[in-house]
Amino acid sequence: MDTFFPVARLSEIPDPGKQVVECDEQLVVLFHVDGKVYCLDDVCTHDGGPLGEGTLDGCAIICPRHGARFDIRTGKPLSMPATQPTRQHEVRVDGDQILVKLA
Amino acid sequence: MSQSTLTTGFNQESFDAFIALRDEPTWLTDLRNRAWKHYCNTPMPSQQDEEWMRTDIRLLHLDRFSLPAETDDATLPTAVLSEGVTLSGMLAMKDSRVVATELDARAAAQGVLFGNLETMVREHGDLLRPHLLSRAVDPLHDKFSALHAAFWTGGTLLYVPRGVVLKDPLCTLTALSEGQVDLGHTLVVLEDDAEATLLSESHSLPGCESGLHCGAVEMLLAPESRFRYVNLQEWGRGVWHFSHQKALLDRDASLQWTIGALGSRLAKVNQHVGLVGEGADAQVNGIMFSEGRQHLCYHTLQHHEAPGCHSDLLYKSALQDDSRIVWRGMIKVDPLGQKTNGYQRNDNLILDPRARADSIPGLEIEADDVRCTHGATSGRVDDEMIYYCRTRGLTRKEAVRLIVSGFFQQVSDRIPLENVRTALGDAIGRRIREYE
Repeated sequence: MDTFFPVARLSEIPDPGKQVVECDEQLVVLFHVDGKVYCLDDVCTHDGGPLGEGTLDGCAIICPRHGARFDIRTGKPLSMPATQPTRQHEVRVDGDQILVKLA
Repeated sequence: MSQSTLTTGFNQESFDAFIALRDEPTWLTDLRNRAWKHYCNTPMPSQQDEEWMRTDIRLLHLDRFSLPAETDDATLPTAVLSEGVTLSGMLAMKDSRVVATELDARAAAQGVLFGNLETMVREHGDLLRPHLLSRAVDPLHDKFSALHAAFWTGGTLLYVPRGVVLKDPLCTLTALSEGQVDLGHTLVVLEDDAEATLLSESHSLPGCESGLHCGAVEMLLAPESRFRYVNLQEWGRGVWHFSHQKALLDRDASLQWTIGALGSRLAKVNQHVGLVGEGADAQVNGIMFSEGRQHLCYHTLQHHEAPGCHSDLLYKSALQDDSRIVWRGMIKVDPLGQKTNGYQRNDNLILDPRARADSIPGLEIEADDVRCTHGATSGRVDDEMIYYCRTRGLTRKEAVRLIVSGFFQQVSDRIPLENVRTALGDAIGRRIREYE
């Protein structure tokens, strides 16, 4: 899929901060950290928990259910109990508009 | 296609308009009012709730759906379960409206009732009142059971009097058109020593993907009755599918319940068998095959409330692409349920590393003289099996196809009706791809 979908305004997400948005009938989480925007599936690969409800710790998001940590820049797991990466999506910022292309 | 809609969404205005248009017994209106109040006072389930923690419905916007619309278009998909079968009766429903019913004259002469529940409840209210949404499905279980109980329309009644045996099956065909809603209710009542088979299938019309099904199925089986129920669910890939299904089996009653779950965008089904009379016997079979981003979630309960009952559940699932299947099964044995024999098993065949299967079997036993066993497996296609097939001259693709078909054979072998075996086999065959 090559389409970039407009999903949110950059000015609406604090730095550091995160926001769950709908993108082409899917829920994804936007992370705004150090002036950059990243996007992951709103799914913890351990048991499907909502990552967007977790705590942001630098460039890691901590799943609210069992504490699994993921790198927001790559989706890779940083700690147990998650062992598999969560999907990372390409982000483009056009002025104040954040656009996401689903992986 | 011409359609008229009462009003948009499920709100007080639409509920009041819905009730005003109905000509129903007071007890049923009261039941609808209680359910509506519960719906209004109940928040949408969230992933904080244990029952919903693996099923994400944040993208479901109930306000985008409308009450079942009147339609004069009776286009229906082709029935597959009953193709070429002699039937005792048939009922067709589209967008929650019954559009056709038939019942064999001999069956009708024996006192069998089969047809539109909405009509039947007006004509036989006293007969149905003790059974409808009062003994089996709890209208106040959650937001979706309440929505269904408040707004159910159309639906099927099968009532078989004492000692009547229907040798030929009955069939129901339910269809959804684009963006429409199905709120049909199925009520089955078999009196003592009665016997029947119901083949039920649901489809979206070709090219129609989105929609909402919020339904319920109730089966009330009196002592020594025998019932076979087959349900093939092939909703379109954009349909939200919520269903509460419950069977109550009295003394020495038997039930064979087979589900084929292939369709819908997201399915959340509660399937509950209550063995309430001594010696009751239930066999539950499930075939699930998901693809794309489908999410199928089935919660099953085999509840042994009486002594000497037998229940046997087998669910087989295959998953492709990014799909997910959740099966959570419980065998619950009450203190009275001595000499229970309960079994449950769920096997998952993962055909894509991105797919995910969650199997959560459980036992809750309060009696001390029972035999209850359960098991669950998840795995990929076995390389040794492929190697064996290739030594017999098959290509890798042929081998995988054969293995996937064979995976479901264990369920098919338990189904005595040949046409049902064929229809389920064909549905699985259409889903199987040419795997590398």
